[in-house]
Amino acid sequence: MVHNNPGENRIELLQGTLDMLILRTLQWGPQHGHGVGQAIRQSSADLLQIERGSLYPALHRLEARGLITSEWKASDLNRRAKYYRLTAAGKKQLVAEQSKWKLLVRTIARVMRPA
Amino acid sequence: MMRWDFWRRKQRETDLDDEIAYDLALDAEERMRAGVTRQEADRASRRDFGNVPLLKEGMREMWGWTSLERLAQDLRYGWRTLRQNPLFATMAVLSLALGIGANTAIFSFMDAILLRALPVRRPGELVILNWHTKGPPTVVHGMSGSWYNDPHTGWSSGDYPFPAYELLRASNRALSSMFGFADAGQLNLSVQGQTDLVDAQLVSGNFFSSLGVRPAAGRWISDDDDRSGAPPIVVMSYSYWRRRFAGSADAIGQSIFLNLMPFTIAGVSAPEFFGVNPGGAPDLFIPLHAAPLFAEDQQEDAKQRFLDKNFYWVEIMGRLRPCTSLGQAQTDLAALFQRYVNSTASTEEEKVDLPELVLAGGGSGIDSLRREYSKPLYVLMAMVGLILAIACANIANLLLARAAARRREIAVRLSLGAGRLRVVRQLLTESVLLAFLGGVLGVWVAGLGIRFLTWLLANGRDSFTLHANLSWPVLAFTFALALTTGILFGLVPAIQATRIDIAPALKQIRASAPPSRLRLNKMLAIYQIAISLLLTIAAGLFVRTLSSLHSVELGFDRENVLLFRLNAKQTGYSDQALARFYMDLWARFRTIPGVRDVTLSDFALVSGAGGQTGVTIPGRPHQPGRESETSVLKIGPAFFSTMRIPILLGRELQERDMTGPFKVAVVNEVFAKKYFPHENPTGRHFGFGGGDGKFAEFEIVGVAKAARYDSLKQAIPPVVYIPFSQRVDGVSFELRARGDPLGLVATVRQIVRQVDSRVPASDVNTQARQIDQTINRERIFAQLCSCFAGLALLMSCIGLYGMMAYTVARRTGEIGIRMALGADRRRIASMVLREMIWIGATGLAIGLAVAWGTTRYLESFLFGLKPKDPLAILLATGILAAALVLACYDPAMRASRIDPLTALRHE
Repeated sequence: MVHNNPGENRIELLQGTLDMLILRTLQWGPQHGHGVGQAIRQSSADLLQIERGSLYPALHRLEARGLITSEWKASDLNRRAKYYRLTAAGKKQLVAEQSKWKLLVRTIARVMRPA
Repeated sequence: MMRWDFWRRKQRETDLDDEIAYDLALDAEERMRAGVTRQEADRASRRDFGNVPLLKEGMREMWGWTSLERLAQDLRYGWRTLRQNPLFATMAVLSLALGIGANTAIFSFMDAILLRALPVRRPGELVILNWHTKGPPTVVHGMSGSWYNDPHTGWSSGDYPFPAYELLRASNRALSSMFGFADAGQLNLSVQGQTDLVDAQLVSGNFFSSLGVRPAAGRWISDDDDRSGAPPIVVMSYSYWRRRFAGSADAIGQSIFLNLMPFTIAGVSAPEFFGVNPGGAPDLFIPLHAAPLFAEDQQEDAKQRFLDKNFYWVEIMGRLRPCTSLGQAQTDLAALFQRYVNSTASTEEEKVDLPELVLAGGGSGIDSLRREYSKPLYVLMAMVGLILAIACANIANLLLARAAARRREIAVRLSLGAGRLRVVRQLLTESVLLAFLGGVLGVWVAGLGIRFLTWLLANGRDSFTLHANLSWPVLAFTFALALTTGILFGLVPAIQATRIDIAPALKQIRASAPPSRLRLNKMLAIYQIAISLLLTIAAGLFVRTLSSLHSVELGFDRENVLLFRLNAKQTGYSDQALARFYMDLWARFRTIPGVRDVTLSDFALVSGAGGQTGVTIPGRPHQPGRESETSVLKIGPAFFSTMRIPILLGRELQERDMTGPFKVAVVNEVFAKKYFPHENPTGRHFGFGGGDGKFAEFEIVGVAKAARYDSLKQAIPPVVYIPFSQRVDGVSFELRARGDPLGLVATVRQIVRQVDSRVPASDVNTQARQIDQTINRERIFAQLCSCFAGLALLMSCIGLYGMMAYTVARRTGEIGIRMALGADRRRIASMVLREMIWIGATGLAIGLAVAWGTTRYLESFLFGLKPKDPLAILLATGILAAALVLACYDPAMRASRIDPLTALRHE
């Protein structure tokens, strides 16, 4: 799935990295779906805009894998909101993904190093 | 489980909706804060969000469908399809309901008779001791019980001498317990001045404890009660306790009189307990050693029963020790019995063909019912099975036709990426749903069928105790049947339906259907016709059997005769007093208005009962064995005029002959021809038993025309009719009425009560119905089989009609072209008819061939005709052919009436 920020600098998300980003976002505490999307956008300085069509399936997939759990809470808008939270397994997964990611970045950077 | 799944799915859907709504709301909020109007903000949020339904679809995909949900989906869809086509659904469900219902009803009888275990502790351990010989065993000097003579397997019985029972019980190592029982027959029970007749069973002291059942009230018979001289006690059946004592606890300890002998009620059996014979339900259980109390000479009877080693009367069952096989027990017991029976054979003649003990499983009780009904039940089960097969073929045919109509739908589904397996499963779900609807309705049909069958089997007998019902095993059978049939008739059409060429089907071109499907269609029709013919031939054979039984010449007039039995011996009359009692009643019955003639005999004609004895004639050498035996009937005055049996020579027996000093007799034609060929038998003498004619006490005073004696089916034996006053117990009275004989019953009962209120009249019947009851099985077969054959015929005709109508509709275009090219209507009709005739003839030929090979299995059910009776076969074939022509007429006519213009435009 390709995600872009139409009109501006387009960054294509690598396969599988969305899950890692979500886990990373949830590291700071429980958040609802919209919040997760916003956080990713803000921390990427608007370069990454996650489409809801990918975000929600990803959230539900992570939940099904037991990496995150959810809880319905009354929110500030006086509505029912679904808050996602990292589980222990999710935290472990995040650590693993992070080191994998660092390795990947280093490796690719080495290959792409200007000659 | 399924509901819970649905609920969870619904919850997930609303959760997702809420989640999306919340996201949209937050998004719009942010935009409004940036200064956009609410409306615009909402629109922008939704636009940025993307395709909501697509997202939801993706999520649902991710949740996945559980197989249960898929099944529910298929079921819902199947239900909708069925409702769309109510005629098809109704026809399919109805024919299935009839098929499954008939099968369930017959199976419930099989369950009750052949399969159901006795309601006792661990019935699987029970065994029955039978014995077996090739011919009539001479070592058996006397017997009280029953034996069975099968032309193929020889003689068998379950009755043993009491000393043998004691020996086997004491010395066997295979059984943990062994108990005996015997039939005590009907007894006259009186309590507080009220009398009625009860069925009683004699049981050994360990009968109840060995079976492991508990009394509902009071106590059981114990070993202490079962010895000579013990205070006589009885145990009542639960139903008799309810009927006679209204279930009162006061009944325990009460005194009753059985044939005038005092007994004390000790206990009541459990409600579900009926003894060890599923075909009988005794009202009373009495200790074995109380049996002589009912005899005239108690000491003599006790000596015979308990000491005579050649008098067979005790039936034996036992319980296998744990870890002992039937075979081991058989070896052990057979050896013991062989030694016993060897020691009791006193002559060389007796030593030939000694009884051999055969052990049989006894979990479902003694097998008198099984003997009587198992073969008929298997035949009926085969028939209803065939009917269900026809129903399945019918529905398969309808489904095939419908699959053709649904080609486009299925093509669409396949082209959209539905897996073939998925579509087959969907179609199969539909047919299984149909089968289940049929099954549910079938249970209702089965309920009616069971009531109807019970009524047929009982045929007016009050004492009919067999009760089949819809038990759990029966319902499980129905469920399995429905499932199997659903898959059976659904699978092939479903596979066929998905094997289509998608492109032309989508374009809805009337491409000719693959030839294989048509062939299948025709094969199903042929198969239905063949089965229907088979059933119709069977019905024809049974109907012909019944009619030849009905046309048997009786030799007497069966109409307008009332029958009932009286037994005054049980209430203390004997010898002269007994004869006087019966004669007094005879005289009184004659005065009833509406009665033409009255007589009595020791049993009624053609009732299945009879007595044979050896006959000797002075001056003739006595020949031992069956050859010289004659049947005997003890009769009252005016027997021949009452029964309308013509006297050919001499005179009939009159009132004065009953007690007169000279013993006289009337013999029948057969007797006269056998013993006095070319002679006038009147005035000649004969005697009973062996010897040289010293006891030739009877003088023949008349010869009567041959009349049926005990059975319709056997040839009329030689019969001597002697006065009833010669040693008789109970008698059957015969009253010839002017009108309806049953109208006399109240008066008869009143007269009997006036003479002696302790003597109840029993077995009230008419002579005509009595005879019909002896051919009950043939009657049931004829009626049921005719029903079955009619049903099969109807289903096949519907099937054929449907198939042909479909074929014609499918060939409309072709027929149109033929007509446009000059074929006239007659030719079109004959073209369609030719195809049908081909199908019909093939079906009939196959049916005939199968019938030719299988009707011999029905031989033992037939009377007066051969299994290959040409008339029955011809008639059945004719009926079927006529029905087929009827079914084909309409499609053929419709084909000939096709308008070529419309047909061509249709293309």
